[in-house]
Amino acid sequence: MSESREVVPTQRAWMSVVQKIGTPIISTVLAIAVGSFIIWISGYDPAEAFAALFKGAFGGPRQTGETILRSTPLILAGLAVGYGFRAGLFNIGAEGQLMMGGLLVAWLGVQMAGLSSVVTIPTLLVAAALAGAAWAFIPAILKARIGAHEVITTMMFSHIARYIVAWLTAGPIKAPGQIPQTVNLTESAQIPRIQSLFSEGALEALPFLNLGRAHLGILIAIAAAVGVWLVLRYTTLGYENRAVGLSPWAAETAGISVQWTTVKALCISGALAGLAGGIEVMGLQHRIFDQFSAGVGFTGIAVALLAKNHPIGIIAAALLFGALSAGSGTMQLEAGVSQKIILIIQALVIFFVAAEGIVNWFIRKRQKEAASSAE
Amino acid sequence: MLSDIITPDLFAAALRMATPLALAAIGGTICERSGVVNIALEGIMLIGAFFGTATVLATGSPWLGVLVAVLAGVAISAVHAVASVNLRTDQVVSGTAINLLALGLTGFLMELWYGHPGTTQPIPTLQPVFGFGAMGDGFLGEVWRWINGVFLSHTPLVYAAIFIAIGTHWAMYHTKWGLRLRALGEHPRAVDTAGVSVARGRWVAVLMSGALGGLAGANLSIEQVGVFQEGFTNGRGFIALAANIFGRWTPIGSYLASLLFGFADALQIKLQPFRDVIDLPPEFFLMVPYVVTVVVLAGVIGRAVGPAQVGVPYEKG
Repeated sequence: MSESREVVPTQRAWMSVVQKIGTPIISTVLAIAVGSFIIWISGYDPAEAFAALFKGAFGGPRQTGETILRSTPLILAGLAVGYGFRAGLFNIGAEGQLMMGGLLVAWLGVQMAGLSSVVTIPTLLVAAALAGAAWAFIPAILKARIGAHEVITTMMFSHIARYIVAWLTAGPIKAPGQIPQTVNLTESAQIPRIQSLFSEGALEALPFLNLGRAHLGILIAIAAAVGVWLVLRYTTLGYENRAVGLSPWAAETAGISVQWTTVKALCISGALAGLAGGIEVMGLQHRIFDQFSAGVGFTGIAVALLAKNHPIGIIAAALLFGALSAGSGTMQLEAGVSQKIILIIQALVIFFVAAEGIVNWFIRKRQKEAASSAE
Repeated sequence: MLSDIITPDLFAAALRMATPLALAAIGGTICERSGVVNIALEGIMLIGAFFGTATVLATGSPWLGVLVAVLAGVAISAVHAVASVNLRTDQVVSGTAINLLALGLTGFLMELWYGHPGTTQPIPTLQPVFGFGAMGDGFLGEVWRWINGVFLSHTPLVYAAIFIAIGTHWAMYHTKWGLRLRALGEHPRAVDTAGVSVARGRWVAVLMSGALGGLAGANLSIEQVGVFQEGFTNGRGFIALAANIFGRWTPIGSYLASLLFGFADALQIKLQPFRDVIDLPPEFFLMVPYVVTVVVLAGVIGRAVGPAQVGVPYEKG
């Protein structure tokens, strides 16, 4: 006890960084260990499974590209959930806001065919964010005005969004043909692939640039992460957001409107999720169809929690889950292990990060023992 | 047309559809009254439904399936109990982890055991308890048709849910257990001071909600659908939580609120064939339960106040 009091400040700062990164790393390792155990008792070889997964995620430039591709919407979904968490709000329905963002982009993008991409792409990005924010608006108002729990309302809005997409893609905005989907975006509305920036010669000379389906949306996602970090750290908006998250009562006393901050926080969260959906449509799918988002909004929860809601940490966490997702197909093909194991690992990561309580419990216990022995 | 819609089987369907919601909602009520939020009900239902179905597929016995579904619900809720009572983690986060785990685990085992994703083989389901036919004619025959159709056409767990609602409601307000349960959520310190273990009381409540969630899953798979399908709880666990809130954290209230949601669901199914009269796309009907849930939560009946200490981990002083 007396020793720890004499730690020099720099050392203490270093310790706090280790503590911050330590839990997520230990949690990830534990989750993968338990996942390996499940793979093993199911009669597969965990080493073979994870080798195949790694190969699928980083085995070559194309595979690395796939990891970047999968990480892109996860960064934005993670930011969406994380921004809400920082205000004490759990936007469990990011999936629905994401679908609405994708839906508006898929429709508006087709309407804007013929316009220059300099106009089209920024417009579509704004539209995607607005659609997501709008879809979060009613739950936000209900939360602020009557305290209706956002976990239930955003979840319900997620289901409603699913049916709206199903309805529109099956009828009103359906492309000709059998499949319920919209018409493909014209090239001016698409976010270009990274490899399209380089000439054939450059790609041949530098094969690692051959990143397959990865697109420039990753830059938008990273910019968004930096933006959210700056907002949280340096602006009044971010300060109020954090204050309400830490203690709504204290924030109210300090003159911050908790209701208004709640509405803003959920709408910004929704906007980030909407952006994730819009970018997924503009960069990868180029159209929308029923169930076009396979749980990205929910993985965003795991991303945010693993990163402890830190915007820069979210980039790293999204890369981890992006890699798991990109490699899971190869794992299923080569090692025979169902891709569903990834969901289990995600759940375990959330669980272990949340169970940081174990660590804290030990610390408190030791402090208490130390205190009682000091008396 | 109205006489085609307002039929005994509309109300029978409402009772049927209300059952899984009510069982889960009462589980939520017990859990939240003890001071623990349980948004894991969705996952608990899914786990119960899966292991129940797997048992019926292996043994051919629906009742054994119900038993295993309940036990599976209890087992998975023990994880939530450890996390929220002993480790004092954020209960909503722990619940989310369990929901995700349920989705992953049932999907994983589905492929491992049955070799394909999606839906299992059909299973023998629990049959209606009574099998009365038509009796008499004229006015009395019509009355009997309604009574028989609405109330006497059900499978066992539909009745079980009604008894559970009444039984737990009574226990909550007339037994020592009930008094302590309510005190746990309002003022755990007082319970502790009286020499009763807060941790133990909350553990029991979480496990009970797990048992009821598992039973809800059994009702869905072994009584209603007759298969297990990945993710087929479809948000019911969350709707059940809304029913618990609408029912003001009481078992009978939860049951009646579930009945409202069940009726909305039954009505939308009933209305679907009349699409040439009501010119709406099918997706609009499917949205109804979710929209009703939001509307109800929006406080048509005013602001609902839950137990004071719900979601707050208790630290022994």
